[in-house]
Amino acid sequence: MTGHRAGQARRTGRPVARLAARLVAVVLVVWGAATVGFFSLRLIPGDPVNVLIGLGSVSERVRDQIREDWGLADPLVVQYLRYLGRLLQGDLGTSYRMQHPVADVIGQQLAPTVQLMVLAIAFALLLACGSALLGRDTRTASVAGLLELVAVSAPTFWIGLVLIGVFGFGLGWFPVVATVGFGALVLPAVTLSIPVAGIISQVLRQGLDDAEALPFVATVRARGASSTRLLLRHTLRHAAASSVTLTGYLVGSLLGGSVLVETVFARPGLGRVALNAIVDRDVPVVLGIIVLAAVVFSLVNLLVDLVADRLDPRLAAEQAHA
Amino acid sequence: MSLLAAARSRTARTRRVKRMPTPALWAAAGFLLLLALSVVLPGLFTAADPVRTDIGAALLAPGPGHPFGTDQAGRDVLARVIYGSRYSLAIGFGATLIALVAGLVIGSLAGLMRRLGDGVLSRAIEIVMAFPEFLLALIVIAIIGPGELSLLVAVAIAVIPAYARVARVHTLVVKRAGYVEAARTLGVSPTRTVLRHVLPNTLGPLLVMAIMGVGTAITAAAGLSFLGLGPKPPTPEWGLILSEGRNYLATAWWIAVFPGVVITATVIATSILGRHVQALSLGRQR
Amino acid sequence: MRIRARSTSWLRATAAVIATVALVSGCSVTSPNTAADANTLTYAINGGTLSGGKMDIHSSAFQATALVMRNSFDSLVYEKADGSFVPWLATSWQISDDGLHYTFDLRHDVTFHDGEPFNAEAVKANFEHVVAPETASADAASLIGYAETGGFYAGTAVVDKYTVRVDFNRPYAPFLQAVSTAKLGFYSPATLRDNAAQLPAGGPGISVGTGPYVLTEYTPDQSIVFTANKDYNWAPEGSTHEGAPAIEKLVFRILPESSVRTGALTSGQAQIASDITPNTVGQIGDDFSIENVTMPGLPYTLFLNEAHGVFADENVRRAFALGVDIGPAVASIYQGQAKRAWSILSPATPNSYDPSLEDSWTFDPDQANALLDASGWTKRDSDGYRTKDGARLSARWLAYTPVSDANASLGDVVQSDLRKLGFEIVRDNLEIAQYYEQFNARDYDISDWSFPSVDADVLRAHLHSGGYKNGSSIVDPVVDSLLDDAVATSDPAERAALYRQLQQWNAIHVAMVPITVPTAITAYSKIIKNLSFDLYGQPLFYAASLTTTR
Repeated sequence: MTGHRAGQARRTGRPVARLAARLVAVVLVVWGAATVGFFSLRLIPGDPVNVLIGLGSVSERVRDQIREDWGLADPLVVQYLRYLGRLLQGDLGTSYRMQHPVADVIGQQLAPTVQLMVLAIAFALLLACGSALLGRDTRTASVAGLLELVAVSAPTFWIGLVLIGVFGFGLGWFPVVATVGFGALVLPAVTLSIPVAGIISQVLRQGLDDAEALPFVATVRARGASSTRLLLRHTLRHAAASSVTLTGYLVGSLLGGSVLVETVFARPGLGRVALNAIVDRDVPVVLGIIVLAAVVFSLVNLLVDLVADRLDPRLAAEQAHA
Repeated sequence: MSLLAAARSRTARTRRVKRMPTPALWAAAGFLLLLALSVVLPGLFTAADPVRTDIGAALLAPGPGHPFGTDQAGRDVLARVIYGSRYSLAIGFGATLIALVAGLVIGSLAGLMRRLGDGVLSRAIEIVMAFPEFLLALIVIAIIGPGELSLLVAVAIAVIPAYARVARVHTLVVKRAGYVEAARTLGVSPTRTVLRHVLPNTLGPLLVMAIMGVGTAITAAAGLSFLGLGPKPPTPEWGLILSEGRNYLATAWWIAVFPGVVITATVIATSILGRHVQALSLGRQR
Repeated sequence: MRIRARSTSWLRATAAVIATVALVSGCSVTSPNTAADANTLTYAINGGTLSGGKMDIHSSAFQATALVMRNSFDSLVYEKADGSFVPWLATSWQISDDGLHYTFDLRHDVTFHDGEPFNAEAVKANFEHVVAPETASADAASLIGYAETGGFYAGTAVVDKYTVRVDFNRPYAPFLQAVSTAKLGFYSPATLRDNAAQLPAGGPGISVGTGPYVLTEYTPDQSIVFTANKDYNWAPEGSTHEGAPAIEKLVFRILPESSVRTGALTSGQAQIASDITPNTVGQIGDDFSIENVTMPGLPYTLFLNEAHGVFADENVRRAFALGVDIGPAVASIYQGQAKRAWSILSPATPNSYDPSLEDSWTFDPDQANALLDASGWTKRDSDGYRTKDGARLSARWLAYTPVSDANASLGDVVQSDLRKLGFEIVRDNLEIAQYYEQFNARDYDISDWSFPSVDADVLRAHLHSGGYKNGSSIVDPVVDSLLDDAVATSDPAERAALYRQLQQWNAIHVAMVPITVPTAITAYSKIIKNLSFDLYGQPLFYAASLTTTR
């Protein structure tokens, strides 16, 4: 229903209505993700009470008490509605394992993950720009292509361990054990950035090729703009517009990659929290992460849409249509 | 990765065709052929048993008897890599095939449906896409338990939405081009329309995406193996070998380096082939 | 053309940025074998099991918890290397003649990190916390002798402000040893009152004890920071050091990858690393001291579940034990760092080990085959595995991830050797929650672990019909009465005789297959002086100090 209206609004092109429809879509996606998450996590075999008590045996009386305390005795629908009700108030529930509010558990680990991701994105863009520009020369294009393929095909944990061995311990350039400071962040961020850089670079290269083939480039050239100016202003902008659709994917791949990177480098962060929560069957925490990921994904998509509109309305219209 | 292919195939129409250098293509094809052969007839490449341990011959460096050396339990690393190709390729190709078919069905259905149906389906795709792929795979494994098959299913489910999204976009393109309307007016049956017009146009870009996706699936499976959620030991799956050898890097590098090289080579070979297929399909469209 | 020129300058800029980053951060790296700060020690530990609510000494079933938290938690008595006990938080103690009452006289000068006084009320509150159903304690409750269905522990009574009495329903000899462990350490009564629910998660202001170090920072899966307790003046009797500890700050860095722990040490980024695995010990040079302590308690053992599937048949259990060539496997995998185990008790367990079991059985595939034939597993299926009545001879081995490199290799050998007999082993490495689920239901054929303990009573949890870690599902009145008798006996010789009978019982019955005696390998820089190790091979930092030179 709403999706349908959102589509209509896009086509009519009134900015306010369009924004409103997109915001509704954000809420819809988050609600959908929370719902899918809630019910699919119930499919995990096993009694949540066992998660709460761990190893050892307790009497049925204690088990019933635990079920009562955590509201696990109610019908699933009641539990779901109660969950939604709390979610609406911004309450993500309480962790089974930590007995802490989920919002706190996630909040405490947000900073290290954001630091890691921001630096990783910066490295990825740097590497990608380098590789994309390397790839523009026909003589070095195959080298760039090869580097990109190696980057996307080498398993993350593997890159991490090799970097630790070579740059952490062998050359001693970056501390591995230290937990604070920029130096400690470099190797994990590089590890996380490598597969992402490979992808951005491929797309960027494609985008540059495509953009150069467009009629406007000739026009701009005819106006006497230098190649550098052309590259930076027009081509990159156009190329960027075509690759902004990647961002949703990138958010996901950064969060996924952070599970492995944080494990290899023994760093705290959302990736670890997500992995531990799944391994420990800490359902409220997993749900909290799902909701957070959905919010970030939707907002980033929204932002991308808005930026794309600004950068290249024609392209945006085409994308909206598609 | 999958979206990358999506972006690429979307822009493909305006793209100049760059032919891959032929030697690279031959090398890639040759390598993949060898891999295929190792799946069917592993005994052709090695006489060693990939599972049988020989504790007296543990951690031997690469040499005449063991070209890739032996691992911590004295198993021949070459044999493990060769016998492992069937598991790793099954996971890579199997997961991709499932995702391709499911994505094709869901995506073209969404594209062909009226506004309401399309709205619901594409919103559903978007919701599942909001789950980071790796998290989705972890949840699927939590539900069905670890193992080779779970790994395949988990990796497949994680990437279905991406395929569905691309399939929908291309179906819409076909729909807008007027074929479907025209066919309907001419009284052509819907099934025939789908088979004649929709499928050929969506399958092409999806296939390119799939060929690229095989490598990503193998890499993702390796990541899950690293977390201990992969195949049951002593399955010689590449990701598992890599993961089991990771703490021997400084003392017995060959355990993890050779499977790592083979994984990377496989991904590169499939990618080169994928680009060639893409170039061919563009040439045909012209 | 001009674009290309531009692109090279881009590359140059990128290279410059990377080089700068490398330089800037490179400066902060410490050089090998020196502490970053004169009075800070960085300790690389495995600690992979600590997150997810395993920081509570009273409820965690993991030994790792006790080993880390020992720094913040003292005990009533201290067990010396020879197995004797000396005063610690208790100045003296009396055991009633019937063995039912333990009375402890406490020190008057002890305070918790939060300023609360340590007294009889505090002891009572802690023991009550251990046995409270909400705590869901497995290990500490077992140590104190508590069981929901009538155990030994009856209760704790405050005699006067500094005198406390613990009462038992039946004589409970291991109690003194139990109160010497960190798992029966003492939380501040204030934290028990206000933070009971947060104890499993742990952290500063929550994990509050009386120990020489105060837990001041905790980042799950990354690090635990302990700061010297300046007021500390209650070291165990006979300690070589008195007053506050010399090293001001201990940074426990959690590094689950064994190669990373070793690298951290050898590159000088950590001054001490524990849980060094046999495959990385060779990388550590002569610049470091290596402490290799044989762990007491239950060796690394495979539990054959008698209540499930093929292992109900004693012949199959014996065939399993005879069909695996354990000796060479242990020698190769542990590279001489750990010995083969022959008994279900480690030779390092005081007053209990039965050395007569050494070399008492050898790898004998022929006899293993004969036993399997005798039990009717005579047909073979298309994969070469034995079958009986159409069912394959197969056993499922349950473990939880991550599986250590050594255990994984051992699993490979067991699987490969038994395959030759036509015996299939399926290894299921599950996520821990799923493992608990199946373990508690005893839904497996094989499981494996080791459990360090200085008291042979560790066998009670593993062999008694009501034991919470009775992995082989043993239900045998003879075993139960031997265990009960041993617990009720305080005479060391009598106890040793009873435990020898239990070890002999397993040698015949083969409910468990001992594989290797675990060792705790710790490597440390020579700048650390006076480092001592407890009976579990864990470093004790209280008396240690740092020198600036080697």
